Amino acid sequence: MTTDTLYTEALARIASPGWLADGRRLALDRYLASGLPDTRDEDWRYTSLEQLERQALRIPDAGADTMLAIEDYPGALMAFADNRLIWQDTRLPTRMLGTLEDAEAPVRYGLGTLSEDSALAQLNLALWQEGVCLHAPAVYRPRLPVFLRFAAVQAEVMLHPRVLVVMEPHSDAILVEHYLADGDAPHWQNAVAEIFLKPGAHLTHIRLIEGGEGATHTHLVSVHQGRDSQYRGLTLSLGGRLVRQDIQVTLADEGAEARLDGLFVADGRRHVDHHLRIDHAASHTTSRTTWRGMASGRGRGIFDGRVLVRHGTLQADARQDSRNLLLSPHAEIDAKPQLEIYSDDVKCGHGATVGRLDEDALFYLASRGIDPATARDMLLLGFADQALGLADDAGLRDWLQPRLAAALPVLPKAANTREVRP
Amino acid sequence: MLTIHDLHVSIQGRPILQGIDLAVKPGEVHAIMGPNGSGKSTLAQVLAGRSGYEVTRGEVTYLDHDLLALAPEERARAGLFLAFQYPLEIPGVANVQLLRTALNAVRRARGQEEMDAFDFLEYVKDKLALLEMDDALLYRAVNEGFSGGEKKRNEILQMAVLEPRLAILDETDSGLDIDALRVVAHGVNVLKGADQAIVLVTHYQRLLDHVVPDYVHVLSEGRIVCSGDRDLALELEEKGYAWLNDEAAHTEPHP
Amino acid sequence: MGNDDLRKQLAEQYRWGFVTDIEQDTAPLGLSEDIVRLISAKKGEPEFMLEWRLRAYRHWLTLKEPGWSTVRHAPIDYQGIHYYAAPRGSAGPKSLAEVDPQLLATYEKLGIPLAEREALAGVAVDAVFDSVSVATTFKDKLEKLGIVFCSFSEAVHKHPDLVRQYLGSVVPHTDNFFASLNSAVFSDGSFVYVPKGVRCPMELSTYFRINARNSGQFERTLIVADEGAYVSYLEGCTAPMRDENQLHAAVVELVALKDARIKYSTVQNWYPGDAEGRGGIYNFVTKRGECRGERAHISWTQVETGSAITWKYPSCVLTGDGSVGEFYSVALTNNRQQADTGTKMIHVGRDTRSTIVSKGISAGRGSNAYRGLVKVLKGADNARNHSQCDSLLMGPDCAAHTFPTIEVKNPSARVEHEASTSRIGEDQLFYLRSRGLSEEDAVGLIVNGFCKEVFNELPMEFAVEAQKLLAVSLEGAVG
Repeated sequence: MTTDTLYTEALARIASPGWLADGRRLALDRYLASGLPDTRDEDWRYTSLEQLERQALRIPDAGADTMLAIEDYPGALMAFADNRLIWQDTRLPTRMLGTLEDAEAPVRYGLGTLSEDSALAQLNLALWQEGVCLHAPAVYRPRLPVFLRFAAVQAEVMLHPRVLVVMEPHSDAILVEHYLADGDAPHWQNAVAEIFLKPGAHLTHIRLIEGGEGATHTHLVSVHQGRDSQYRGLTLSLGGRLVRQDIQVTLADEGAEARLDGLFVADGRRHVDHHLRIDHAASHTTSRTTWRGMASGRGRGIFDGRVLVRHGTLQADARQDSRNLLLSPHAEIDAKPQLEIYSDDVKCGHGATVGRLDEDALFYLASRGIDPATARDMLLLGFADQALGLADDAGLRDWLQPRLAAALPVLPKAANTREVRP
Repeated sequence: MLTIHDLHVSIQGRPILQGIDLAVKPGEVHAIMGPNGSGKSTLAQVLAGRSGYEVTRGEVTYLDHDLLALAPEERARAGLFLAFQYPLEIPGVANVQLLRTALNAVRRARGQEEMDAFDFLEYVKDKLALLEMDDALLYRAVNEGFSGGEKKRNEILQMAVLEPRLAILDETDSGLDIDALRVVAHGVNVLKGADQAIVLVTHYQRLLDHVVPDYVHVLSEGRIVCSGDRDLALELEEKGYAWLNDEAAHTEPHP
Repeated sequence: MGNDDLRKQLAEQYRWGFVTDIEQDTAPLGLSEDIVRLISAKKGEPEFMLEWRLRAYRHWLTLKEPGWSTVRHAPIDYQGIHYYAAPRGSAGPKSLAEVDPQLLATYEKLGIPLAEREALAGVAVDAVFDSVSVATTFKDKLEKLGIVFCSFSEAVHKHPDLVRQYLGSVVPHTDNFFASLNSAVFSDGSFVYVPKGVRCPMELSTYFRINARNSGQFERTLIVADEGAYVSYLEGCTAPMRDENQLHAAVVELVALKDARIKYSTVQNWYPGDAEGRGGIYNFVTKRGECRGERAHISWTQVETGSAITWKYPSCVLTGDGSVGEFYSVALTNNRQQADTGTKMIHVGRDTRSTIVSKGISAGRGSNAYRGLVKVLKGADNARNHSQCDSLLMGPDCAAHTFPTIEVKNPSARVEHEASTSRIGEDQLFYLRSRGLSEEDAVGLIVNGFCKEVFNELPMEFAVEAQKLLAVSLEGAVG
């Protein structure tokens, strides 16, 4: 059975209110017109999705009653097991944090409008069942971070989580999305987040991607920023067999600022691909991108970041950094930082490095009595730790750091160190 | 404690050290002086086990170990400490983390119990006070954003925490103002004891006003060209290093 | 410098644009197997050359013109080009005295008095007028050292074994659309062979010049430095003003064997088109060198100020252990010029090193893209690369792009890339003018400072010429 047929049948099984159903059908048609991206597309040169053709994944059975135990989250939680909502914190009113079906007005306002160019996002728009809308009213600053937990539980399913965020003027919120899976069976999470920041709105947006050996994780985050708004995104790609992250930010009005931080760990046979597009479409806009990656085992990590400065804009300020550690002879790092500039009144730069752990630092630690394996772990954690600045600001370091530490690649141990007594 | 015999070292085939002989006993303080490029820092680096140096001849014995056969961390655990001339910055790794990991590695090697976080903080606070350092430096990344003086003090802090048997200080005095020099010297003097030895590698004699050496050796072109007591350092200060070359031509080094 | 001032873009006449009227011996328009055979026959080539050309032609028929670069141009009619043109008496003059005086006068106008230049600078000039070499000097001196420096056609006859051994060994006839086209129809070019252990005592230099209407220009250059040899090669060019676009698809191959060093410098100043972008050369060049032995060293330096479209990526394949590749580039685009240039550094051997310094200057409606690839293969232990790509922008309508790609498969490699983009600011100009500099001098000062790292790599007389070229190319770009 072709995936096209699978997806068409899946749509037929999804019950949906009439006002959504039309959009779903239209989105599926658009998806079918292009199909899954392939490696002939320059943007997909390094990443093939052909395993999705073979795996023939389905949407989850209704009523299957498996769930992962939910750990504590330091905030207001909405949790999904596959496509079912299994927990919703009652501290926030549902008109602010609820399912997409419950949030008709903002959904009508923006659903699908920031992700039209992506075939995968069109497929998500056709097939999503676990949808969340976060709608922060003007000047509202909830004290609690909002956590969205998307867990894949059944084997061989595809899930299309969808998040819509509308931040009204001068609101401020912290949103954390946590993706994880039960076991290593094949499954696919194809997530989309569309984010509107109205004038003066601030959003800190942390995404933690964990997942087993069988996980394919594709994800589009698309952000539209109004005047003087601030988006601060932290992406932690720590698990899954194949991860493809697309992050698109449009700085649509003056004074908009975006900060994009990221960290990926490509160990084992993991393939992790990040594509960032930052569009300076207005004057006086600022972007800062700092991406850190490590590849070990037979892993492959890709960073492709493009900054576009439009004609007629003034004083765009963009900086992009890609720092990578290559830790094994069978791993690979590919970096493509790109600047595309159509205005002269700019301050733009980028930097990219690929290297191994600093030999001098290793010697320094050794000279203090620390064995090579511990020294390498310390340096890896130190390298990764520097990506957590936004988590510090959000008070979430304690929640994230152990997860980060657990995900770091285990390097092959050097020969046993001898006992030397003084 | 440390015996260096006929040590020859090259870097990429270029000879740097050309037959060093030196014996250091517990309780002694040795100063190694010499002009730039004489091989002082090379000697310090080779003793600590830095790679990239080829030992072409000679041997080094430290506390019954063949020192040159040990990995750098094994040397450290055996109580050898090098204070770096240019301490490294290690972003993302907190100073306190380095200190505790290192101390526990050394303690394990000594057959002592590891220190837990609380005991360690107590322990390290005394050392900080000794070096007049602020607690906040513990939680910053290793040497990152430290001033030159802070970096050097941080090296001595590490030394104070690890309590080595043999400490080699590679130009620890350079770049220090007089107050910092006094603090650093105080830290060194506190460490000094009947069981410990110190090797000071320095270009100037001013550190020697504060840490009084038992022996002074002058290194030139990869050899110890003369040895003496403290007065030799003063003489060097007065005359500079230029006279060495003439002198060395017809003077046998002191035993 | 306000935006309005900047919009008054230059109406700088192409200073060196003129047409020399010399009778042409020209092939019919268009390309076919017969034309390829005709070219080969006209040049009296041995069978292996014809076969090679035909293989390239047949392969070319299977290829499509590449569409991945940022460059935009009207479709090229490959059947509307003359693929062969030679000055009368293509046997070639034996000395300067035999050279057509009109030709010499042309060089005179270009400010390159051939005879004088030889004597003053010690430069051997292999001047190409259209497609056939017409004068080669200093040959005897070079011959005594065993150095071969001649036109490609001559090399085919006199050194067929060398040509056979090395031609297409770095840029195969299947490499890309334009390289295949060149391989099928290339007219002439230069050939250099420096034998083992010989250091070529002078800079070897060729001045190219496109002249015949619709003739196209398909140069082929092959430089081989045998073990321990050294050669510095200069390539410079200007072209007369024309209306229709002219295609130039050259191929340059460099082979550096063990311990050899090749330094290849280019000043490219072909007709860029008028202020509206009409006319101008399409410059689609394939340049690649291979460090084929241990510690070989290839260095590309280019100053690109001409052509309507420049599309070239002088590259290094670092096969030999310890070999070194370098790329130093200044590319300037003004009016509606487009440049898409950069390099590829392919690290194959151990301890290989590469350096990339790219300076792009965009003015008017010019568009400048750096496109590069640094690739470290699995076996390239301890490979090192450092890249620095800077863009300087002048005026609100220009564009500057930086598209580096880094692919690393070896964990002991260290690859570093840095890029910056900035403009010549009003405050900088004001500061300099308040110290008494004219605006153009101020711009010149800033631009030359910006390009200094690259100019430092050029042989002295080239560096002076390059600075002049930048100044001329930017005239009117400010205020």
